[in-house]
Amino acid sequence: MLKLHNMYKIYRTDEVETVALNGVNLEIEQGDFVAIMGPSGCGKSTLLNIVGMLDNPSEGEYFFFDEDVAPYSEAQRSKIRKQNIGFIFQSFNLIDELNVAENIELALLYHDMPASERKQRVAKVMDRMGIAHRAKHMPGQLSGGQQQRVAVARAVVGDQPLILADEPTGNLDSVHGQEVMELLRSLNKEGTTIVMVTHSPAHADYAHRTVNLFDGHVVTENTRAA
Amino acid sequence: MFLNNVIIALRNLRKNKGFAVINISGLALGLTIFVFGSLLIKYEESHDLFFQNADRIYTIGSIAAPELNVGFERMDATFTTVGPIVEAELEDVERVARTVLREFLLSMGSESFYEGIRFADPDILRIFDFEYIHGNETALDDPSGILITDDVAIKYFGHTNVLGEVVTFDNEFDYHVAAIIKQVPLNSHFSSSLVQDEDLGFLVPITALNKMREWDLEGNWNNLSLGNMTYLLLDERFDRDWLQGQMNSLYDRLVPEDQTEVISGFTVSAISGANTAIWDLIGIPVIDAVQLLSFLILVIACVNYTNLATAQSLGRTREVGMRKTMGATQTQLLTQFLIESLVIATIAMIIAIAALEIIIPLFNNASSKILSLNYASTLPWLLATTILVGLFAGLYPAWLITKTSPIEALRDIARKGKKGAKMRSFMIGVQFAISAFMLATVSIVYMQNERIKESSYEFPRSEIYTIDRLRVEGIEENLDTLKVELEALPNVDVVAFSSQVPYEQNNSNSTFTPTPGDEAAEFSLMRLDMSPDFLRVYDIPVLTGRPLSRDMTNDIRTEESEVLNVLVNELALPILGYASATAAINQSFYTLDPESTLREFVIVGVVPTQNIVGLFNQEKAWFYEYVPAGLRIGSIRIKGGNIMDTVDAIEGVWNDVIPNYPIQGRFLDEVFNDVYDILRFMNMALAGFAFIALSLALIGLFGLAAFMAALRTKEIGVRKVLGASSAQIARLLVWQFSRPVLWALLVALPLAYFSSQIYLDFFADRINSRFAILLIAGLVSVLLAWATIAGHAIRIARANPIRALRYE
Repeated sequence: MLKLHNMYKIYRTDEVETVALNGVNLEIEQGDFVAIMGPSGCGKSTLLNIVGMLDNPSEGEYFFFDEDVAPYSEAQRSKIRKQNIGFIFQSFNLIDELNVAENIELALLYHDMPASERKQRVAKVMDRMGIAHRAKHMPGQLSGGQQQRVAVARAVVGDQPLILADEPTGNLDSVHGQEVMELLRSLNKEGTTIVMVTHSPAHADYAHRTVNLFDGHVVTENTRAA
Repeated sequence: MFLNNVIIALRNLRKNKGFAVINISGLALGLTIFVFGSLLIKYEESHDLFFQNADRIYTIGSIAAPELNVGFERMDATFTTVGPIVEAELEDVERVARTVLREFLLSMGSESFYEGIRFADPDILRIFDFEYIHGNETALDDPSGILITDDVAIKYFGHTNVLGEVVTFDNEFDYHVAAIIKQVPLNSHFSSSLVQDEDLGFLVPITALNKMREWDLEGNWNNLSLGNMTYLLLDERFDRDWLQGQMNSLYDRLVPEDQTEVISGFTVSAISGANTAIWDLIGIPVIDAVQLLSFLILVIACVNYTNLATAQSLGRTREVGMRKTMGATQTQLLTQFLIESLVIATIAMIIAIAALEIIIPLFNNASSKILSLNYASTLPWLLATTILVGLFAGLYPAWLITKTSPIEALRDIARKGKKGAKMRSFMIGVQFAISAFMLATVSIVYMQNERIKESSYEFPRSEIYTIDRLRVEGIEENLDTLKVELEALPNVDVVAFSSQVPYEQNNSNSTFTPTPGDEAAEFSLMRLDMSPDFLRVYDIPVLTGRPLSRDMTNDIRTEESEVLNVLVNELALPILGYASATAAINQSFYTLDPESTLREFVIVGVVPTQNIVGLFNQEKAWFYEYVPAGLRIGSIRIKGGNIMDTVDAIEGVWNDVIPNYPIQGRFLDEVFNDVYDILRFMNMALAGFAFIALSLALIGLFGLAAFMAALRTKEIGVRKVLGASSAQIARLLVWQFSRPVLWALLVALPLAYFSSQIYLDFFADRINSRFAILLIAGLVSVLLAWATIAGHAIRIARANPIRALRYE
């Protein structure tokens, strides 16, 4: 599905040069569930941002469905992104002024889709996530676990084949964290590819494969039987 | 999608109620002022358009020659002889009509009033299609017929069915009503509150003036009075430029040489300009100023919005980041933010219109105008204004917030305060530049007006009661009796008569030579005819020599006088060629007019220089002569006592002595205020603009300071934990906004210096402390800005640092 080849990301200020990614090679197949682990500052989030096309690499190639997207402009990347990738963040990033249904609908708003179909899909995904009764609530009225369910719903409502999750359980207690992981697992079983950054070895165990990063290198890769 | 954006906009407003109130009320205030200013200008500039021939009617005005030294340049009037000349010379002019405004005592039925009468060439009714109730446009062809308005008919008779009723002028001359028209609407120069002449109530054939006052039908080159209009009706084939060209050539060919020192040219104006001619006369671009000021207020309001919206949108970077992550393009997000600012502009415009619906009727009542928010014609313009304001105010914040890449937008919390900081500072600078400019200008105008008022106290103007219109048969012969009776009243000190009183804008002068017939050395002096007591009424001392006396033959000007003793003021001495007052006593100067019996004038006394015409005019060289009869206006010096009782007593005496004519009395204060009120009104209007501008700028500054302080809460907490004092923190916050304010002053004060020059140029006697006033105005702006920020800054600086740190 996607392939990173010899990828570098270097942040430069006037005095300091920080190498966030130092020649990363990584390949992810369709249907994979990959956990990325490593200590703070090892480049996990940078890697995820580049995979999610939110950021450009400094050097290297990034094949997404055999297309090298590394040199693409933000507008081009934006187009691929909205067709193919859903995002889940540690801090949920729900919009405070929109209610639950509207927050989820947001993911469809920038696709060419009639309002009626949008409503249908939002209703369906809310049912599935068990948040239908919260449709009219504002994010501030929900618990952290409920907010993250909304965020997950928003990530999957567009039926994108790839979901990127940046510490999706980082702000949740263990019970709610586990709930979210179960959700991701079921999604994966239905065929969605998932790439997840996490600090928790227990949650990494949900993945088929764990990639350990250290100082911008891939150190080890462990594969588990599904 | 559109609805979704509107919903987000409304929810955002609800979430930040404080900012919403500041944003919307500021914008609404700016729009109210701007729309009102525009309506007012449109109203004043679109007078008389309801006349069928409006686009073909022109007025002839004059340009005052610089030698005339009268304090104004353009007037919408010309010599009465110009009309007949145009009629004779320009065949292509379809119709010509003059109006000459004179006051007469009018009697109809059982009522008598003084009325301003327009004596007119009969063709006036073929130029203007008035709305007739009775009669028609031939009314003035009958030399004994007059036209009146329905208001006049009702005032005298109680109804309008008065065709053929007899009208008596000055208890002597009889005419009859030949037509009754509807009162001309207020949006005509005939009735406008801007034109100081009497509203049109009467039109009388100009031949009547010839009959009653031996007025020269062909007009003359002697007298140029405001209120004497010359109207032309042109054929459709010709326009203003053509007429101006014709008038220029008439000027070159036909204006007598000595009159070129009075007027330096003719001007042609479309009839729609007749209403605002007063501003051309004064020479202050009032219409342009109102337009500019109301526009500047709107700019301040927009900048306010832009600034607050920019600051506030920083709190929404996460939303933008999220939307971009979902695939929104910058265009889509720009649209979203612009729709938000359009929503706010629309709310503000609705509030502004609601406010105007309340303000306009009040204003109409107070100003006798008929402004209206005619939606049929103004709606497209209101809509366009709303959209432009929404786009103009919203574009920068929308662009700023949507240009960031999604990853930055999602992450960038620490740096968000910095984003657009320079632009915000710049915009604060713009606001303060505009408001400090207005404040400084208004201060200078105010001080100048105060100076004019101060200097007017050289005459005891509140203690002098004037009685006008004395040059009438039936009054003239009784003035001596009147004086004796009045002076017998307990609270009347002394009574005098004269050809004019101080502050009347008359400029009558005479030309003389130092030796008989020496035309090369001619000079002119302002002339005041008076009775000798004039000096006592006005507290004018005789510095050298003696005052004029009733008992010396040569002191009194009569038909037979050949030599006349006069007084001159000190300013006349150098003109007459004397180094000192003593040297001038008993010296003579001579008339230029070969036909005059009176040849020689002898100086018997010198009085101090006083600014008799006052107001805009510079001090002039005057001579004072004693004329025993035919003086126009009386001055009564009142000493103490109850003023109103004294005025009642004066009226009582008048009614006893001159029962046939009502008294035309008023205090000298009112004469002064005739003109001063115009200046005061301009000052008040300007002050209103400045106040609103400054308030808007301060509100904007407060909102922005509060918002930026909130963004810096964490930084402030850290600084306090590290040991910064409250004072240091407060200073930090205040200083953040002080620099743009100080920069603004550097721009605004020089601009105010130059713009106030336009106003000062209008006065001969100018204030000379302009720098000090500018500096004080600047200082006030800065102090106000500091006070606005400091209150909030100190509160934040004092807060417990732990609370500050917990905030994020």
